[in-house]
Amino acid sequence: MSNEATELLVSACIQSLQAYPPFDRMEAEWLRFLAQRVKLAHYPKGARILAKESGVARTLHILQRGRVDVLRSGGDRKLESSSLTLGPGQSFSIGALMAQRETVGAYVARDDVFCYELAAEDFFALTQKSTVFNLFCTQYIAGLLRQSQQQLQLQLAQRAAEQKTMNSPLSTILTREPVAVAVDTPVRRVVELMASQHLGSMVVVDGEQQPIGIFTLSDILKRIVLPGASLEQAIAAVMSPAPQTLPLAANAHDAALLMAMHRVRHVLAVDEGGRLRGVVSERDLFKLQGAGLRQIRHAIDAATTIAVLQHARDDVRQLALTMLSEGVGAQEITQFISTLNDAVTRRVIELNLERHDFYGIDWAWLAFGSEGRDEQTFTTDQDNGIVFICTDIMDREQTQLRFLDFAREVNDDLDKCGFPLCKGNIMASNPELCLTLEEWEEKFAQWVRTPEPLALLNATIFFDFRPLHGRFNLAHRMRLSLLRQTQGNPLFLRMLAQNALNVAPPLGRIRDFVTDGDPEHPGTIDLKKYGVRLFTDAARLFALANQVEATNTVARLKRASSVMKISADETAAVVDGFNFIQMLRLRHQHFEQEHGRSGDNLIRPDELNEVERHMLKESFRQARRLQVRLKLDYQI
Amino acid sequence: MVWFSKLFAGQNAQALHLTSRQLQRLAAWQTLPAPALSRSHYRSRYVLIDIAIAGGDWKDGPLGSIGALALTDGLIDLSAALQLPMVDAAAATDAAGRPLAEAEQVSLTPTPISGEQRGEALLALLDFVGKAPLVAYHASFVARRIERVLAETLGVELDLPWIDLAWVMAGLFRELGDKQARLDTWLEHFGVPSIERHNPVSDAYATAQLLQLTLARAAQKGFETPASLIKLEKARRHLYPSA
Repeated sequence: MSNEATELLVSACIQSLQAYPPFDRMEAEWLRFLAQRVKLAHYPKGARILAKESGVARTLHILQRGRVDVLRSGGDRKLESSSLTLGPGQSFSIGALMAQRETVGAYVARDDVFCYELAAEDFFALTQKSTVFNLFCTQYIAGLLRQSQQQLQLQLAQRAAEQKTMNSPLSTILTREPVAVAVDTPVRRVVELMASQHLGSMVVVDGEQQPIGIFTLSDILKRIVLPGASLEQAIAAVMSPAPQTLPLAANAHDAALLMAMHRVRHVLAVDEGGRLRGVVSERDLFKLQGAGLRQIRHAIDAATTIAVLQHARDDVRQLALTMLSEGVGAQEITQFISTLNDAVTRRVIELNLERHDFYGIDWAWLAFGSEGRDEQTFTTDQDNGIVFICTDIMDREQTQLRFLDFAREVNDDLDKCGFPLCKGNIMASNPELCLTLEEWEEKFAQWVRTPEPLALLNATIFFDFRPLHGRFNLAHRMRLSLLRQTQGNPLFLRMLAQNALNVAPPLGRIRDFVTDGDPEHPGTIDLKKYGVRLFTDAARLFALANQVEATNTVARLKRASSVMKISADETAAVVDGFNFIQMLRLRHQHFEQEHGRSGDNLIRPDELNEVERHMLKESFRQARRLQVRLKLDYQI
Repeated sequence: MVWFSKLFAGQNAQALHLTSRQLQRLAAWQTLPAPALSRSHYRSRYVLIDIAIAGGDWKDGPLGSIGALALTDGLIDLSAALQLPMVDAAAATDAAGRPLAEAEQVSLTPTPISGEQRGEALLALLDFVGKAPLVAYHASFVARRIERVLAETLGVELDLPWIDLAWVMAGLFRELGDKQARLDTWLEHFGVPSIERHNPVSDAYATAQLLQLTLARAAQKGFETPASLIKLEKARRHLYPSA
């Protein structure tokens, strides 16, 4: 082609790009490379330039003229209001292009749009050639990550905000339009209004709608009925004058304080002009007082009936949500849930112990599975058992029967408190799981000696035991005996490793994720089976092989890796991966339950945003690294 | 194959002293299939052509240069543009190589390039155009000059449809009234920047962007193919014979 003509257009393109970052800093050579490969496209107003339905992103669009609206569609329909407008010099969609997938949002031309388009292969070539461009794209992705986290927290914060707190301004607490009457209204009319509209109080206002008095239900008794006052007189005669008011911007705390100071039950909210905007009653404030961690703990520990404990469980969930929205990590939240669930369980046990006397017997209540690992999420069922000491073999049957009776009641009560009975009957009321210390030790030894499939499955549940109540030293003795068994048994460890490798991370060769692991739920990934399990299985193995007593996955990974000489960075990456998957599970379960479904662990990768998909992929890669390690260590 | 090429190149080809290589290229162009005019705009190739007139007489002065640019599948490829000087570039610059001021140019008679150079340039143009429909603003003026120089130099008849954006835009955009507007008016109206006004490549580029706008509007109004644009233009010429 004629160089002269091309040169003219290419340099004009370079010049127009140079007005904007990152092109203003870009190496001349690579900017020219870019300009020589772009094509100019036009989109009329309203055209969908790029959207999910256009499939995998194949082109980088650099806006030359005009504006483009980015319509974000989050996983949750309600929250898609956030949108963004791009102007000249801005590029899209770098995230989708780099990940080689479709975009999440839609890019719609707001007016006539001209943009330079660069084919994907040229884009990738450019990211390799130009350090400036590469840095720009990387930072862009990092920016997305921050944005996504902020967005997530914003979404959750909105939900949390809907549950108003004592810090909420009065304007958000007021629920109904104020009802007010003029000073000359007859008392009869006021009482009629209060009765018909179910009002606890009536505000009396002057001509400017400024409150000058208040008349409450209790006033009817004291000032009308008992003195036998006339119902025809004006309300002004019987109202309490000069009611307490607060500006709309004051918060619920202020209202509570005012009520306490003046011994009143109603505070009037007024706007800047002193006009009545609403009534806040003492009852409104009671409803606002959400429970904090300390109160919940206190309520649990002081509970004397199962009914009270049932409430506590709702509070736990609510507080966990708040923590989620405040950006508290998954590790802390699962630990927090476990801690409070422990407290509930302990209280249930204590309440039942009032009817069951085990005086003189050493025993402990054990938690297995996720509870044993301190990793409970919003949905969890019971996994528990009992260990006891029987000094006289003749008493064994009798003692077990007493414990089984007790366990059955505890299991039922826990069920009432929101821990459903275990479908697999992994409960203390199962005679197989209510055993003496020697029996437990023998059971464990048996599984370790003959690692058949069922034994291995049991190992993944029961070896994560943790004492909840009673003599904790019994559990410690079980742990030591278990570690003695496993340490001297490489075959068992190898079989356990093989078992752990049965499930591979759902990373596709072609697609990002394998989403057909479960034929009944296509398009989903079970984050428990194909996510968390990969980490917990590997961590358990590391722990058993390296004499680590901890049951918590993160603790196991951290302690075992120091023995195994795995670098701290590497371990931190694995822990991050595990925590990210747990976070997704928590969020998913919470949303599911909010919509009245039983929270499962099936997430749809399609509904995640770009960054979350990136991070999920990376998390699965960490799981794969763990598995590679197992393969090497056990020559599988 | 020379005889074959001559057969297609027309009777007077030989009189024009074309080399056999040139005759072959010409024949190859002539055997290309006729333009496909019934596919969507966004599946078609349009070629935009603009010319510059050398010297002061814009109407009858010698052809200064030709600029060509393609709009393929709705996209303008910046690295596929053509600029063909028809006069000796040195003649229009002073000793230092700077272009002469317009007043000075008028007094100069530009020296046309040699017949051989001209033949090569126009063959490059035909190669670039292929059999795509041609688009220009005030196409009849451009068409007349292009067709004349092709006939004179290569002895070939272009025989491709020309689409005149001046007519088509007046028919599709009523923003500037019903009358035909000047190119500059449209460029200003749509905010299309001009790199170097009156440079034929720059003008072709600006016109190409007008064409992009036009195609989008046309498609919205049901004119979805090159053929429908030609029809639209014909109808308007019929309706406004005086314009």
